[in-house]
Parts: sequence; structure tokens; C-alpha cells
Amino acid sequence: MTIFLLRRVLQSIIVILLVTVITFALLRAIPGNPAIAILGPNSFRNPAAIAQFDKQYGFDLPWYSQYWLWLRHLLAGNLGFSWKLNQSVASLLGTHLPKTIFLVGISTILALLLAIPVGVIQAVRRNKFIDHFFNGFSTVFYAMPAFLLGILLILFFAIKIPIFPPEGPQGEGLGVVFTNFNALVLPIISLTLITLALFSRYMRSSVLDNLTEDYVRTAKAKGASERRVLIRHVLRNSLIPIATLLGLSLPGIIAGALITESVFNYPGMGYLFYQAALNSDYPILLGITIVVAVATVVGSLLADIAYAVLDPRVRYVSQ
Amino acid sequence: MGRAPNQQARSRSRLRSRFALVAAGAAALALVAAGCGGSGSSSSSSSGGTKEKGGTATYALPPSSTPNYIFPYTSSADFSVVNASYLQDLLYRPLYWFGVGETPNYNQSLSVANAPQFSGNKVTITLKHYMWSDGQPVTASNVMFWLNMETALPSDYGGYTGFPGSIVKDIKVVSPTELTMTMDKAYSHNWFLYNELAQIYPMPEAWDKTASGPSHCTTTVSDCKAVYSYLDAQSKTLNSYASSPLWSVVDGPWKLSAFNADGHVTFVPNKSYSGPVKPTLSQFKEVPFTTDAAEYSVLQAPNSSVDVGYLPEQDAPAKPVNATVGKNPLNGYTLDPLYSWGINYYVMNYQSTTGNGPIIKQLYFRQALAYLMNQKSVIQGPLRGYGQYTIGPVPVQPKTNFLSPTATTGDPFPFSESKAKSLLTSHGWKVVPNGTTTCTDPSKCGPGIKQGQAMNFQLPFANGTAWITSEMTQLQSNAAAVGIKLNLKPEPFNQVIALAGGNCVVTKSSCNWDLANWGGGWDYFPDFYPTGEELFMCGVPANSGGYCNKQNDSLINSTLTNSSMTPMYTWQNFISPQLPMEWQPNGVYELTEIKDNLHGVTPQPVTLSINPENWYFTK
Repeated sequence: MTIFLLRRVLQSIIVILLVTVITFALLRAIPGNPAIAILGPNSFRNPAAIAQFDKQYGFDLPWYSQYWLWLRHLLAGNLGFSWKLNQSVASLLGTHLPKTIFLVGISTILALLLAIPVGVIQAVRRNKFIDHFFNGFSTVFYAMPAFLLGILLILFFAIKIPIFPPEGPQGEGLGVVFTNFNALVLPIISLTLITLALFSRYMRSSVLDNLTEDYVRTAKAKGASERRVLIRHVLRNSLIPIATLLGLSLPGIIAGALITESVFNYPGMGYLFYQAALNSDYPILLGITIVVAVATVVGSLLADIAYAVLDPRVRYVSQ
Repeated sequence: MGRAPNQQARSRSRLRSRFALVAAGAAALALVAAGCGGSGSSSSSSSGGTKEKGGTATYALPPSSTPNYIFPYTSSADFSVVNASYLQDLLYRPLYWFGVGETPNYNQSLSVANAPQFSGNKVTITLKHYMWSDGQPVTASNVMFWLNMETALPSDYGGYTGFPGSIVKDIKVVSPTELTMTMDKAYSHNWFLYNELAQIYPMPEAWDKTASGPSHCTTTVSDCKAVYSYLDAQSKTLNSYASSPLWSVVDGPWKLSAFNADGHVTFVPNKSYSGPVKPTLSQFKEVPFTTDAAEYSVLQAPNSSVDVGYLPEQDAPAKPVNATVGKNPLNGYTLDPLYSWGINYYVMNYQSTTGNGPIIKQLYFRQALAYLMNQKSVIQGPLRGYGQYTIGPVPVQPKTNFLSPTATTGDPFPFSESKAKSLLTSHGWKVVPNGTTTCTDPSKCGPGIKQGQAMNFQLPFANGTAWITSEMTQLQSNAAAVGIKLNLKPEPFNQVIALAGGNCVVTKSSCNWDLANWGGGWDYFPDFYPTGEELFMCGVPANSGGYCNKQNDSLINSTLTNSSMTPMYTWQNFISPQLPMEWQPNGVYELTEIKDNLHGVTPQPVTLSINPENWYFTK
């Protein structure tokens, strides 16, 4: 297991380095002058400002020198400084990341907690009314664009029947979430419904597959009750694809939910990345890419470990 | 300042119909008074209730825009309406204030100095009795502090126009309240005031320091670089603004009481403000929004916390042609459109290396394109009535005496396919409707245009603004009707600007483009006098297409040196039909929504400044 982990960690470092090279090269390949993008049309009044900007941020150097410069800063723990927001990338991540993790994390956990019983019930009651009901439910929410769901929730529960505020908790940092949790209810519902639709479909399918496996028949033949078979045997094995989904959800939890954040005026990582892309704010783009790349490899690693825990066969193969 | 099309403004203005006459009369009186050297930025509102002292007004910042630079000596990267109008100007007053009613006119009442006195090539500036919040008076030395900074670090000021370096030969502090400047020659009084003196912000002595202690930028230019570095670094420490001993020294009507880098900003009245209008509100709050849709959701909610917000253009019902404002979909708010002091156009590259440069240089071709831009249809259609014509270098609204009387007669190139076709056929082109028009007689087509050359142009435009996309599609269709092929290419704003925002020869960038539209044209800010030296003269960097005409240069020079309005009118009458760029409508900057119990917000000046010290609630 230790060798397996070491090998995966080494692979992860190489993957992350490759991601930085590719991202850096792609950003430099975008047409146009980043100085003009940042300084805006006003810069044409004062072309000296453009030259000054290029020099200050190293744009007068070859791209590989720029990359090396950036990498050295990164290794020293410096993610850079946002040209557009006048804040260090680290401090921007420090204010946006916790908010995003809280929102998307809670939604994912809620979706998971609901998806498991819903998927199991659907599988056990296959082709019955409750199965059709949840199938319709998941199809509707899986197909529904996040912005539409967000707007509908605001319309009904903030404007027509004003139970909740129309926007997420306002203010910097995570503290505001706890002082105004009421404001986070609609964004959480919005994200949970969409994620639940996805998870429950996987769960149903997985339980159905497992119900036809030989070990289920064997357990039943040995006299195990339906309930015991379902909970002790089927459920555990059915969670394997969900573990994959959860592992792959980790980067999403870090990267944020752009649409939901925008609709509910709750700027998190997704919104930060989107604005940086619009503004050619490369330090933010690179900083978030690094964080998400790390989350992706960590998520993938956790998923692999979860397999090993859930399925002893994986452990035997790796040994 | 070039304007980003996605950069919304803020606004405030509201005329309830039952009080429209009274309010209009009040506004007119304010204008007259200001013209006589009087009154302030005016107040509005006749309201039905009793004026309340105190209260908190909450103001919605434009979507995805938050103030992030407090030091008024702001570099291009941070030079924005949001920083200047929503933060810096509330705390630190410029030497001269512009904005009377809706106009960009000089506002003597709100200025820190008296009107400048000109005598030949000399100007004398005398300061009024203003105090900094640390108890020090605002002095001529505080003005010198700014001027020395501009002399030492011109590249670090986003509004730099060459002042004072290239035109002011000598500056003397005569007394604590008086300062004289000697120029290299006599300049137009309006131009010098609106475009040069307008940029000065007196800076307090408390700012004349570096990390190691007090400095002397006020008297010694060579000290300014270190001072700037220190102040710039301090200005990039956003979360320290409210507690900073530097930034808390203000001469404006407001002080910061809280500043969050995410855009939540709270101002409280500066009790030592020396200006004529003291704040009535006890707090003024700014709140950020991710999108205009998110902001609109908040406005729609019962008991919305936002007092001044905006209606997304896509949610605005179309405005009847002769009405000032259309139906307001929001209850409890009054709708008021705000326009910026600017013109809109798409650019043509006279220096194009695609082979189309010779065509673009032909006046008949530019006029044909002008006839194909249906400004009326764009204003009434995609802009839903909230747009203004652009017909020359001076905005047509609000009415100012800068606008030539000739320009008040309407669009000289109203939509006409037949006139466009006629111009092309009479100049040697075989017009093939919905096909490709080609040159059949090069001697008539113009120098450099070859036999069989087609009218085929690439036209990248900034995506993301619905009305610009509609307008471009309409233009493409209109042009196709006379065989001009416009290949539209939607691109991000930044890419269009990077391609076409500057004169490609001067900025040494690629000239391999023909036409381009970033959607926002040009705003006259912070130099409010709409002369053409930055935009239309031969070889200036912001002259995107490289239009160059010696007569035009000569006429512009007259506007800079002659104080009469006649040279302004002569120049406009010359340049407007020359079509150095192709004029297009100017969309509304913001559709402001103002809570019915908040008054004093209107009229909103096209300078995009805000004066919450005029605002008050009624019961």
C-alpha cells in the first residue's frame, strides 16, 4: 500500500507540473496583449504604461523564462498577485475557497445522503410508482440548467413567498455564512437537487446491478433476510461507483459552481475564475488551475483508496 | 477613457410623473444658476414626504465591479469609473468639479478652487477655504504635491495627457492659497480647465511620506518616485483602507468606516467637510453584485435593501419614442436612464495591410457604410429606446454649448440603401445585391484599388453585449444588400481592444485588420472637453484607425488655443461627415432604479459621478 501511495504521489507531481506547463502555454497563446487587456483602452493614451507593465510583470521575457519565473515563485509559496483585483492570489483563494467548499461541500454531502436511500428504494421498488416518481424527479433536475433552477427558486421562495433572501450571505470570508445561514438555503437547495439527480441515478443503477449478482443469491440461500442482504452486502458494493463520483467531485467542490454563485450573488471560486478569464488575469487563472489540479489528483487518489476499502479484490490485485 | 461595454455605471435619477414639472423646473434653475457661477450639483427632488435626517442609503455597484484602488493618482490598470466615482471622489475632492444637472459642465460651487483666472499664457488658481479631516487646510502646496507627482511619474497616471510637462513651463506657489502657472502659449480657457486642470487632486501633507518616514514630493520632484511607490503599495492593501492613517485624511464629504475587498464599502459623513452640501444621510453603503440578474432579483424582493440599483437592459420594457422613460417593471422604485459623456463608433483601419486600406481611405465608401448603419432602428430595437445618436465627436445629449448648431439638426446619414448603392456605383463599383460588389473602374474607385477588387471585410466585434450583436447582424444584412460582405467575428472585448484599440503603426502592433467594434467608443473622462487631440489627430496612439488629415489637425489645434466656441463648431462641422470612424448609437450606461422614498439622487450627470451628500429619505 505504501509503495502504491508513493507511486501515485510521484505520478501526481508530474501530472501537476504538466498541467502548469500546458496552462501557462495556453494562456500565452491567447491572442492579444495582456498589458492592453489589463490596462484597458485607456492605455492607448499612454503607451509608456504598456511598456512599463510588460517589464514589471515579465512580459518582455521569452515565455519559458516567464514560466520559470512563475514556477520559482510558486515553489516559494507565492501564487502571484492579481493585476485586476489588487490582491494576492493567496488571499483571494483564502476568501473565496472556504465559501465555495462550504456551499458545494454541504450540497454534495446532502445530495449523497439523500441519493443513497433514494437509489436503493428505486432499485428495490423497480418499475413501481415510487421508482417512476424519482426517475421523473431526477430526469427533470438533471436536465434543468442550474441558472433556471436558481432563478425559479428565487422567484418562488424569495420574491413570491419571501421565506429566504434572494442572495447568498454577503460579506468577506466564511464567517458571514454562519451569521446569515438562512441566506445560504436556496443556493444549497439548488446545488443539492442537481447533484442528487445525478447521484441517485448512479446509485439506482449500481444497486440493480448488484441485486442480480451471485453473492446475493448465495446470501439469500443461506437464509439472510432481505434487509440484511441489502444493507450488509448490496449497499456496500453499490457504493463503489459513488466513491468514483465523489472522488471526481472534489475538484468541483474546489472549483466552485459558477452559475449558482452568480445567480445567488455569492462569489466563490467559480466566479473568481470566470472573471479572471474575462480579464486576462493570468495569476488568478494559474493559481486556481494549480489548486484544482491538486484537488483532481487528490480526489482520484482518494477514490482509489476508497475502492480498496470497499472492495477487497482491489487490494489483492495491488498487492 | 475608453469605455468597456460591459462596464455598467451607477446612476440615480428619478422624476416621478406628478412632480416632473417641478423637478424639471428645479433642474433648469440649477443649470441657470450654475451658468452664473452658482449652485451646486443640484438636488432634486420635490417629494411628498417629510425630509428625514440620517438613514442609510444602499447603493448597488455595477456587476462584477468593485472599488480596489483608493489613491487618486491611479495607474491605467486601476483607472476606472468605479474607483474614481464610487470611492476616491467621495473621499478626496478634485480641484475642479464637473457635473451640473445632467451636463458635464464645470461646477464652481463644488470645486475646491475658485474659477481659474487666465491672463495671456498665465493662469492663477486660488483655493477656497477647505480643510483636511486632520485639521490642516487644503493649500497650494497640496496642489503642487500632485503636479510634482505628474511631472515625475507620467506613466503611472492613467489619465495622463501631457500635463503639466509639455505645456506648463513654470509653476509657482505664491501663497498658501494661490498658485500660478505659466504655459508655453495661451490656451483655450475651456480646454485648459476641462482637460488639464480637471485632473488635479490636492493631496494632503500626510501622504508625502515613504515607508521610512516623511518625504518632500511637495517641493522636490525627485522625491516623488519613492513616495508614489509607498502610496501605491498602501493602496494595494485593500483591507487596511478604513483603518489607515493615510487614507483617513480626507477633504471630501465622506469618510470610510468599513471597506471589504469583496466590494462591501461603508461611508460615514466627514464632519469637517468644508463644501457647500453636507451629508444628510448617516451612512452610505455600497454593495457588490456578480451579475445584473442577481442585482435585479434583490430589487424585486419585498423590502429590498438596495435603495439605488439598476434595471438590466434586457428586462426593460421598450420606451415609447417621445417619452423620457418607459414603463418601470419594479414597484416602489423610479426608473431613470443614465448616459455617459461619450460617443460611440466602430473603427476602420486606414493603415490596413489586408489590401482593403485603399478602400477605407475613400470618403464615398465610408459614407456608404454610414448610410447602412440604421441608428434609428438600433435605438428603437435592440436598445429598447434607451440610446442616443452619435453623429460626430461631440455627444448630442445632454445639450451643451459644446455641440455645433449644425449637429443639432439630426443624423446626416440616415439609413438609405439606395444612397449607399448610388455612392458606390458612381465611383466605379458594380453593385451586386446579396453578392459581391467589385471595382470595375479603378480610376473612379480610387488610388490603390484594383480592377475586380471585392468589398469583403473582416469585422471582429466584442461579444457579450446583446444590442451590439444585434446591431452588427443588422449592419451585415444591410451591407449585403449592396454587395458589401462583412464577415462578423464575435470575440472577447479584450481581444478586440488589443487588436484595434490603438494606432497599429504608432503602437507597433499588427495592422492586419480592416474594421473592428469593441462596442464602447470613447468616453470624455476625466477630460470633459470633447476636443479631438487624443482621438482624431494624426499619429496619436488612441487614433485607432490612423485617420490623418492636416486640415483636421489644424482645426483641432485651434480648439486648443482659442477660447471662443467657434473653432469647436468649425472643427465638428468638418470632421463629422469625414467619418474618421463609423458612428454608431451610444447605448444607455445604466437604467437606474431609485427607491421612492430616497431623494436628491437626480439629475444624474453624464460625468458618472455620484453625490450621496445630496441624498435624503422622506417619511
